[in-house]
Amino acid sequence: MTRILSATLVRDSDDAIACAGCGHALGPAGQPWKPAAVLSEVAMKGLGGAPYSAADDALLRRFLCPGCGTLLDSETALPGDPFLEDVVEA
Amino acid sequence: MDPITFSIIRHRLFRIVDEAVITLKHVSGSAITNEGHDLMVSLYRADGSLLMGGVGFLHHLTSAAEACKSIIWRFEGDINEGDVFLLNCPYTAALHTSDIYLIAPIHYEGTLVAWSACFVHVYDIGAMNPGGFSPDSVDIYTEGFSSPGLKLVDRGEIRRDIMDTLLNMVRSPEMVALDMSSMIACNNVARDRMQTLMAKYGSETVDTACASLIDQSETLLRERLRELPNGRWQSRQYFDVKGETYRVLLTMTKKDDQLTFDFSGSSEQSPYGINCSKWASWGGLFAPLFPLLCYDITWNEGVIRPIEMIAPEGSVVNATRPAPVSIATVGAIQAVNNAACTCISKMLSASEKYASEATAVWHGSHFAIFMFGRNQRGTDSIGILTETFGGAAGARAIGDGVDVGGEVPNPISRMANVETMEWTFPIRYLFRRRQQDSGGPGKHRGGTGAEFAIVPHDAPDGGIHYVISGKGTDYPMSEGLGGGYPGANSNYRWVHNTDAANDGANLQPFAQALNDMPGEKENIAWGVYPLMDDDALYVRWNGGGGYGDPLERDPAAVAIDVRGGLVSGGTAKDVYGVVLDAGEVNDQGTVKWRQTLRAERRIGEAAE
Amino acid sequence: MSQSTDGKYVVASDVGGTCTDTVIFAAGEPIRLGKALSTPPNFADGVLNSVRSAADSMGLSLAELFAETRLFVHGSTVVDNTLLTRDGSVSGLITTEGFEDTLLMTRGAYGRWGGLTEDGIKHPVATDRAAPLVPGERIRGVPERVDYKGEALRPLDVGATEAAVRYLIEEQGVEAIAVCLLWSFFNPSHEQKVREIVNRISPETYVTLSSEIAPVPGEYERTSTTVINAYAGRITRDYLTSLQALLKGESYGGPILVMQGYGGLLPAEDAASRAIGMLECGPAAGVIGSRFLGQLMGDEDIIAADMGGTTFKVGVIQGGEFSHAREPMVDRFHYVAPKIEVVSIGSGGGSIISIDPRTNVPRVGPQSAGARPGPVCYGQGGTDPTLTDVMTLIGYMDPDRFLGGTVTLDMDGARQVFDEKVATPLGLGVEEAAFGIYRVAAAQITDLIHEITVEQGLDPRDFVLHSFGGSCPLLCGSFGAELNVKRIVVPYAASVNCAFGLVSADIVHEYTHTATRPVPSPAAEINALFAPMVEQAVAQLKAEGFEPDRQALEWAVDLRYGRQVHEVTTPVRGTTPFDDASLARLTDDFEALYERRYGKGSAYREAGMEMTMFRLTARGVMDRPEMEKMALGTTDSSAALMGTRRVFVDARDGMAEASIYDFEKLNPGNEIAGPAVIHTPITTIVLQDTQQGRMDEYRNVVIEFG
Repeated sequence: MTRILSATLVRDSDDAIACAGCGHALGPAGQPWKPAAVLSEVAMKGLGGAPYSAADDALLRRFLCPGCGTLLDSETALPGDPFLEDVVEA
Repeated sequence: MDPITFSIIRHRLFRIVDEAVITLKHVSGSAITNEGHDLMVSLYRADGSLLMGGVGFLHHLTSAAEACKSIIWRFEGDINEGDVFLLNCPYTAALHTSDIYLIAPIHYEGTLVAWSACFVHVYDIGAMNPGGFSPDSVDIYTEGFSSPGLKLVDRGEIRRDIMDTLLNMVRSPEMVALDMSSMIACNNVARDRMQTLMAKYGSETVDTACASLIDQSETLLRERLRELPNGRWQSRQYFDVKGETYRVLLTMTKKDDQLTFDFSGSSEQSPYGINCSKWASWGGLFAPLFPLLCYDITWNEGVIRPIEMIAPEGSVVNATRPAPVSIATVGAIQAVNNAACTCISKMLSASEKYASEATAVWHGSHFAIFMFGRNQRGTDSIGILTETFGGAAGARAIGDGVDVGGEVPNPISRMANVETMEWTFPIRYLFRRRQQDSGGPGKHRGGTGAEFAIVPHDAPDGGIHYVISGKGTDYPMSEGLGGGYPGANSNYRWVHNTDAANDGANLQPFAQALNDMPGEKENIAWGVYPLMDDDALYVRWNGGGGYGDPLERDPAAVAIDVRGGLVSGGTAKDVYGVVLDAGEVNDQGTVKWRQTLRAERRIGEAAE
Repeated sequence: MSQSTDGKYVVASDVGGTCTDTVIFAAGEPIRLGKALSTPPNFADGVLNSVRSAADSMGLSLAELFAETRLFVHGSTVVDNTLLTRDGSVSGLITTEGFEDTLLMTRGAYGRWGGLTEDGIKHPVATDRAAPLVPGERIRGVPERVDYKGEALRPLDVGATEAAVRYLIEEQGVEAIAVCLLWSFFNPSHEQKVREIVNRISPETYVTLSSEIAPVPGEYERTSTTVINAYAGRITRDYLTSLQALLKGESYGGPILVMQGYGGLLPAEDAASRAIGMLECGPAAGVIGSRFLGQLMGDEDIIAADMGGTTFKVGVIQGGEFSHAREPMVDRFHYVAPKIEVVSIGSGGGSIISIDPRTNVPRVGPQSAGARPGPVCYGQGGTDPTLTDVMTLIGYMDPDRFLGGTVTLDMDGARQVFDEKVATPLGLGVEEAAFGIYRVAAAQITDLIHEITVEQGLDPRDFVLHSFGGSCPLLCGSFGAELNVKRIVVPYAASVNCAFGLVSADIVHEYTHTATRPVPSPAAEINALFAPMVEQAVAQLKAEGFEPDRQALEWAVDLRYGRQVHEVTTPVRGTTPFDDASLARLTDDFEALYERRYGKGSAYREAGMEMTMFRLTARGVMDRPEMEKMALGTTDSSAALMGTRRVFVDARDGMAEASIYDFEKLNPGNEIAGPAVIHTPITTIVLQDTQQGRMDEYRNVVIEFG
């Protein structure tokens, strides 16, 4: 029995956080999962087209599923700022 | 209490607030009140706690409760039937000086039984810059008239000395006088209708109904919270002023039927007026909480009880006097709105039952541009460019965001017609349209923002000036959700066209895009600028955040967006992974190209 | 033509959402009524059926009736229906270049929250903008520009316009084109040029210009109006043409007059090009009918309330004048056109009663059980408790005489369902819960009427309440008392009020001229603005056969205070053309109206006043039906007394013995003391405690408060 944790993540029957698309496990429930994802940091400038005329240091952090490449979460960030931590209690 | 009487009284209370809002709009007659709906009316219980919040700028509902409580404390023993009090000190309870609260006790048969409170953004408050937003102010002392509480109407009689003193300190006093009249009339209507209600049902029955209404809201919200999973969620907003970057960091923790908003880690207060006071942050987090968590619950004190806030002193979200705060409502408060919207939506997304209620951030950054100067009829005019109330909806779990679809904290705003603006100010629009590639990409696309350009037209002084206190130019503020990208950031350009003006050529008086406008296009965001002679002002406002992975967006929807000009071909390919042939989806090409993009995504380092 | 004297009958047919009602009147003859089901989308069939049913009752064939008919008056929901079902023409839109998105942006969130209830507004995440009638790919901007003074800054680019028109017609296959350019109401020349170009390229394409259909400032609302008109225009034109042909086939060759939302009639030929004018013309006709009845009875201030199976609708007449809707909407689209204000809530006899499981708060409507299955007590398989079921439980319905005894009410079924789904969840007994629901319904209506009276500066105590429809007379004794209206009238023609309104309306043409003039301005200057409108109006009425003694020209001016957004349409009560005195009186009247509508202290005289719009209403006065007055007889109503029954009496907070009367046996002059119930063939009239009823000389039941 799985339970949803976010738009892209579920808690699977082994009490692990997993990609809702492919089931790839990303660590135990109730813990930060982002370290287990693939991180891609891209410049915000021009990212979604010309109107993304953001400052040079603005980044979009994309946390991707190592299993299927689905974009699991994203956050606007400046270099060095910690990951935002979202934890649904186990 | 019997459910029938209860439901009738509940509906009456709502109608009372609604009628008072109409009175406010009728008497004020100003564009910001009538078009932007930049106003609020609410009813409070005898102790100042929120009884019935109206549909206005929602971050005011709780602050006005604090204002009521402050008046009760300050004027204890001197609160009489027919009094009206004024409070606009941000370090007491208000959000910024130009949003004046008028607060009136409601008596029934000689006993104080309730309060009504309202605000409008007054025409001017006498700050350094006209219109209330004062980017040139570096402390509260230069942000205009400010009172922690005074009695403006004494037993039904306006205190002329007080009113004249206030009007003596502002620009266009006759317009401010009208704003004050509108608020007095609004409170009068609320009082009369409350008294009628009590006459019909008895003050005790009404009071009991009010108390149960509050208890009911509390019960309902606590039940809802218990249905949602425990956890903690974070959101971060960046905003930029004169090259400095500020952060609002929010950690929202939900435990059983309690919700705590902790702003620890947010930046220290700024020398510029984008700060906000504690009560302003408190109001800011409720603005999305009411419509996102309490869409079917009466907005009152009961909703407030399960909520706690931690806001570090001396930070942008809890500034200490004398830090300036005149831009709070579109500065730190809006960042708080946005961060709370994201955290609440993340929590909703973790519940099967409520996931469909989740939304990315709507219209993350207002642009408060106030025009001032002589208009084509020779009258001194101050007024906001109401496009900022056009907004842009965030993408939702249930679908795309609505293009130019407004904002969550002000549910019934709208922008003025071009013809209204051209009639009111000596300006001419070159274009006003939805902005391509501004809606945050995602499985569901964020609503687009828009762009427009104006030039002076028929101005007796050759043009006018404007105060701008925009943010969201360096960093997008409409965060995405569930992987969705943020909506595009905003951009403001002062187009100087001196060279072209000098040789009299290449003026492009009907330019259709920023790139067609000759001359230097200087990025601006803060301060006072001219719209004189051959100047132009170009504004592009932010889109709403996206929801989910853009590679999962229905390719047909992307094709429709591309044909409609809302998404460029480049973004369709690079971000959405959709291959188009002459505007139509190439199915096989898209599948292959999306596979390639996904494969590329898997190659990379683990985040840690 | 409209005063043609051949034939003695005036036939009026009103097509509503469910039924098509017909009223036939002739001098010296009783009014005849007809009814048939409406037949969308071919509404004209239902019209003939309805007229035929009235003809049957007269012992005439359709052809015989029409042979003696001099006038056919018509109201129809065809335009509303076209929009509701999205069944209009494939349409395109031409705008000023740079402003192509005006329709799609709907002034921001305005188009998203417009038309929503409180619940909808509080839940923005669940709301969307309605899909536009013209999608983005059928909108084209053309290079041109007019400024706020009407000065053409940039000429219309003819080549680009031709290309745009060809694109719309050839690539998008549009059948209709709406044209709305910035400031065109000050300078329509560019719009007119666009039409010439369309006509040259494709003469059969239907064209609507904003400067003709809605010559007022505000490009979003003007564009939306123009688009609606183009979208529904062809269907409206075809509908009226086919109706004409159909009637001709039944040997009617006289004029057809069509009701407009502003409460006046237009010849079918004119109405055919103004689809927008027919929106909500049925409810408007209802208000007109109410005004006529008021005139007969000597009442000028009326609240006209109509409650049928699904909806409660109400309009206000003050001093014989209507208030006009300020931001009218159809479905979820804004438009701007003169329209009598009629507000509504989804509360009617068929409204389903539900209990919010979390809050235990009862709600009446807006869902309705409709005609099928209908209320539980009809015994047609309805399983949801409705307001009509409540009425049976509190003794207001006679189980054996419902609808003239044609339907036997299933009381036990109603009681069982109501107990299970309403009373038990509320923790109340059946009767107690039923009283409560009755009060909730009455309170909702009170609140709605409060909105359009008190909140507009009107005092309900000055008004007579007209109670129309099958459900209104059951409740009016309660909400009328709470609103403290002067008295209540339950009209004899209550069931066909809209059709009745058709025969009491005039031909009305509305002309407007938008211009801004300061106050004071020389009278001659203002008269010069009116002169062309007056000339056009007089010619028009003359062509329609109205002699000068049957022409009425009503002048009005929109005024506002400087730097304020609210305008007030102020009727000219002094002499026209203006002299200095009548112009001065106009501004006095404006100030009084402004303070009444916007509240004491709202007037902002320091900034001066300005005139912003000049309006001429040209009225061709039609013959009114002559209502037969009956002699008043005895006050004694005992001949109509059917017995007594226990019914709910609001003020006594419970059931009490009430006298029950048969309306058919009541005679003019009879008096009845409440609590009492009067059963009529179409409705039930309830007199609350201490209320006094009386049948007047037109067989209306007049209720006074004790």
